[in-house]
Amino acid sequence: MTTTVGIRSKDGVVLAADKRASKGFFVGSKVVQKLFSLDDTTAVAIAGQMSDAEYLVNLAKAERKLLALRRGHPLSVRESAKLISNIVYNGMKSYSPFYVELVVAGVDKEGAHVFTSDMSGAVTSEDFMSSGSGSPIAYGVLEQGYRKEIALEDASKLAEAAVRAAMERDPGSGNGVDVLVVPNGRWHGEAN
Amino acid sequence: MAAEMGRMPFFYSPEGRLVQVDYALQAVSRGSTTIGLKTKDFALLSSQVKPTRPLLEAAEKVYVLDDHVGATGSGYIGDVTTLIDELRVEAQKHRLVYDNPIDVGTLSRHLSEYLHQLTMYAVRPLGASIILAGADELGIQLVQVDPSGTAFRGSGFAIGQGADDALDTIHKGFRPDLGLEEAMALTSKAIEDLNGGKSVIEHGVVRAETRRFEHIVPKTNG
Repeated sequence: MTTTVGIRSKDGVVLAADKRASKGFFVGSKVVQKLFSLDDTTAVAIAGQMSDAEYLVNLAKAERKLLALRRGHPLSVRESAKLISNIVYNGMKSYSPFYVELVVAGVDKEGAHVFTSDMSGAVTSEDFMSSGSGSPIAYGVLEQGYRKEIALEDASKLAEAAVRAAMERDPGSGNGVDVLVVPNGRWHGEAN
Repeated sequence: MAAEMGRMPFFYSPEGRLVQVDYALQAVSRGSTTIGLKTKDFALLSSQVKPTRPLLEAAEKVYVLDDHVGATGSGYIGDVTTLIDELRVEAQKHRLVYDNPIDVGTLSRHLSEYLHQLTMYAVRPLGASIILAGADELGIQLVQVDPSGTAFRGSGFAIGQGADDALDTIHKGFRPDLGLEEAMALTSKAIEDLNGGKSVIEHGVVRAETRRFEHIVPKTNG
């Protein structure tokens, strides 16, 4: 269920997600938060089992903070995505998988990045990524609307349009869109 | 019996002392001078960065544990950093379990229990004292924890070399309405009076207003 979208632009990243939590054929909640900030520079969009995803987000927050304090500078977006995917991979290998597909997006020294980590622990990165049951529909909109030089504001509009399109045709998605923008300027490269 | 005692240093001495713990405290008193000072508005941690040989970068002496709490220590630096990491992990564990920042009391109790365990068995108690400074629901907190696991709460602490003299200096200069600049001048004076000149001192502060522990980068010549 769910539709989430992450788009990379030259001046930052944007995440968007719907607000529906499904319990089978029943709408369990209409006001679910699926976008989480790990800190100022990195955010995650969750799809799949809510409890698994929220647990991963909290664990990633703690691990990120610890590592940043220990080594004196924060994690890059790739490091954050790998951190999460390693936990997910261990889950799969020990026969207690995390039923999640996460979009990890953020900004670091190299600029803006969007990663997807699925329940097998595989990490992929593209200019725009989508996850959840509505993702095939969202991808249609993204493929049509994305340009390499897209401005952050236009990326934000495109992300919202992609989720709205998915909400029209995917019964697992609906009840409104949340958008979260992380501009490049957030990266300062120091832990404290 | 007495001979057996000698072979088991983790038992009480005939005088009722734990000699290994005494030795650990002795190790702390050889460490660099380190001070904690508290008013109702802020808590300040100041630690002397010992004069090192040329071409060497100064070691970090004041540590951020989490957004709202920091610490400094004196003694064997390896023992200090081990304890700092233990505290950082505990602060994050607390966030994971309770979705809330850890309070200073819980954090210092964890440190006390950790250190106390090392006084019970045939291991070396860690030669490090820690001063914690943080902001929580109860306000600004300052706690000193010794190798025995004893925790002290208070408005001023000094550990390491010349701790008694340093404590005397800050006791004389202390007022409950001290400003941060004045407090930094006072702790710097307490440290500098001991070695008769300018020292490199690292400061960290947590303010009641912001509830954030900020690391102040050491400046050469105070």
